[in-house]
Amino acid sequence: MRANPGSFPSPRPLLTFAWYAGLSLVTLAGVVAGVMVFVRGLAITNLTDLVPWGLWITMDLSAIAVSAGAFSLCAVVHLIGLKQYEPMARTATFIGIVGYSMAMLCLLMDVGRPDRFWHGFVFWNPHSVLWEVTMCVGLYFSVLIVENIPLIGEIEWVRRGFPALVQRTEKIHHLAPVLAFLGLAFSLLHQSSLGATYGVLQARPAWYRPSLSILFIYSAVLGGISLTLFASMLSARLTSRASVDDNLVEKLSHFIGWGLAGYLYFRFWDNFSMTYNYQPGRSEALHILTKGSLAFNFWIVEMLLGCVVPIFILLKAHWRRNPSLRITALGLIALGAVMYRWDTNLVGQMIVLTYLPQEIVARYTTYTPSLVELVSGAGVLAYGLLAFTIGVRFLRVVDKRLRQGHDEHVEQAITIPSTALSVAETVE
Amino acid sequence: MNEKKRIGRRDFLKIIGVGIAAAIGLRAKVQADASKGPKGEHQWVMVVDQGKCVGCGYCTLACQAHNDAPPEIQWNRVIKAGKLGDREIFLARPCMHCGHAPCVSVCPVKASYYRDDGIVMMNYDRCIGCRYCEVACPFGARAFNWEEFTGENPAVPEWGKPEVPRRPRGVVEKCSFCYHRIDRGLAQGLKPGVDTFASPACVVACPVEARVFGDLNDSESNVNEILSTHTHLRLREGLGTNPKVYFLPAQIQET
Repeated sequence: MRANPGSFPSPRPLLTFAWYAGLSLVTLAGVVAGVMVFVRGLAITNLTDLVPWGLWITMDLSAIAVSAGAFSLCAVVHLIGLKQYEPMARTATFIGIVGYSMAMLCLLMDVGRPDRFWHGFVFWNPHSVLWEVTMCVGLYFSVLIVENIPLIGEIEWVRRGFPALVQRTEKIHHLAPVLAFLGLAFSLLHQSSLGATYGVLQARPAWYRPSLSILFIYSAVLGGISLTLFASMLSARLTSRASVDDNLVEKLSHFIGWGLAGYLYFRFWDNFSMTYNYQPGRSEALHILTKGSLAFNFWIVEMLLGCVVPIFILLKAHWRRNPSLRITALGLIALGAVMYRWDTNLVGQMIVLTYLPQEIVARYTTYTPSLVELVSGAGVLAYGLLAFTIGVRFLRVVDKRLRQGHDEHVEQAITIPSTALSVAETVE
Repeated sequence: MNEKKRIGRRDFLKIIGVGIAAAIGLRAKVQADASKGPKGEHQWVMVVDQGKCVGCGYCTLACQAHNDAPPEIQWNRVIKAGKLGDREIFLARPCMHCGHAPCVSVCPVKASYYRDDGIVMMNYDRCIGCRYCEVACPFGARAFNWEEFTGENPAVPEWGKPEVPRRPRGVVEKCSFCYHRIDRGLAQGLKPGVDTFASPACVVACPVEARVFGDLNDSESNVNEILSTHTHLRLREGLGTNPKVYFLPAQIQET
């Protein structure tokens, strides 16, 4: 495989080319839209003072959420000690760095003053959950970078040309437990704080409750691991450059199935407890969510497809063992986690509570992303898919045969210079 | 190798312990900070008499002129608030300058902050434009600069002359109780709320004197006198944000 990295490994070269070309085009369109936003400002979006947070924030939250597989699986491997999952943790870590970079791209467009993105690191407001999110995302991104550095050694020409460098990067795996702990700490903090970002706002009764932070971290861990497994299985199907241990995926999927059942239980109580009495703003929001404009998203995408269907597939052994059904279930879980964020973000802003003392009634507003928002958002998504595809092709990010530190390089000894081979041995 | 890792894991438990202790310490410090609130020599408050307000909107225009705000941004908005008999009642809403302001709590960079005199201020050079404060404000008192304000201000010069610089594109702005007029007046030995030169533009512009501005710390002040003799309310008081703007509800006998 390594002998001819330039050629297409897939038997469908035309499809592969179309995939790259299509994603590149959408990314390019996204760059154009992004530049338009920087030049002309946020006035060309459909955001308003009533709905200041829209599509980009949702994408930011979602990208971070479905990247949660990185910290969860790294903790499973390096802190709990289930070493057999290491190849999956590797995949998740790469998805993590791609996801967080996607989130940062969205944020860069979304803030009014992208030139001041660094202010959060310099001017601290420890009382603000968003400050905490900023710090943790920044620090965790550094962790992800360090965790991904050994991937450089997987690039053929780097391995050939700079064996000493590769030797150094591979030593990073000694740090893996430390990095896993840091990742766990930063992620637990900011993933839940993203829920708290909404949950602490007294002004918005639709959001104001402590459960949001719990549900955000919970759905992020499920969605993140699911996306990792989904992407791994899909890659292994589409290209010979990727391989995945189907037994382990199935085991982990079983666990996800139970986790999802617990999540559904918490979601049920979270929503059901809001129906007990009438509270201005909150009851109206619940109405929008369950009977109004977001009802399809909520019932069909979030609940049915994102929860109930995957629970049945993943908990029934016969269905779970069917790779097609399993991959569908895993994809749906990630989709459900994303839709949860879209609905949550929107529902709290669609209600405009008046501050008139005499009449506490809710008014409604709407939001539909503008073309610029959609195209730039699609560009960020295409960039993410492109980055992952490149990772699969050139960095072996989905490969069950590859394990950090004790890489089975021996089988490929012919293509590796003797210096690199000795590295592999010393590390063993 | 395995042994090495086990020792490592034990070390992590220690790190976790230290980390949790540090987090609790930070949390305690933050809470102590939050409970302080602003305590200065003066505490500026505004009283708006809904019985007097006729909804002319002069305050909005004077505000836009003095603070050089674009037509689509109203720091001080006047909305219809229902009817009393056949008389229309209005509600004029500046920033409430809350004592426990959600916008100050949530701002990730402390671009919103308390002055010692209770005014909730914006640092436009620091704001990153994330709009969290806008989402968090219970009164809709904040406006984002979606585009740069160029060209002439239609409220100028009829309603006043700009006294503060225009805000750049991409930051959130809001009413400042005309802090510049207060500071300027105090420096000249004037009394804000009594001397027009030292009072907020909306207070000065009101043709029916529906707005009263003054120092809550001064027991002799006009605002203290009015608040001690009139029924008053504050908006969304149940949220506990401690607004600094009081309203005198319209009474039926006044019609």
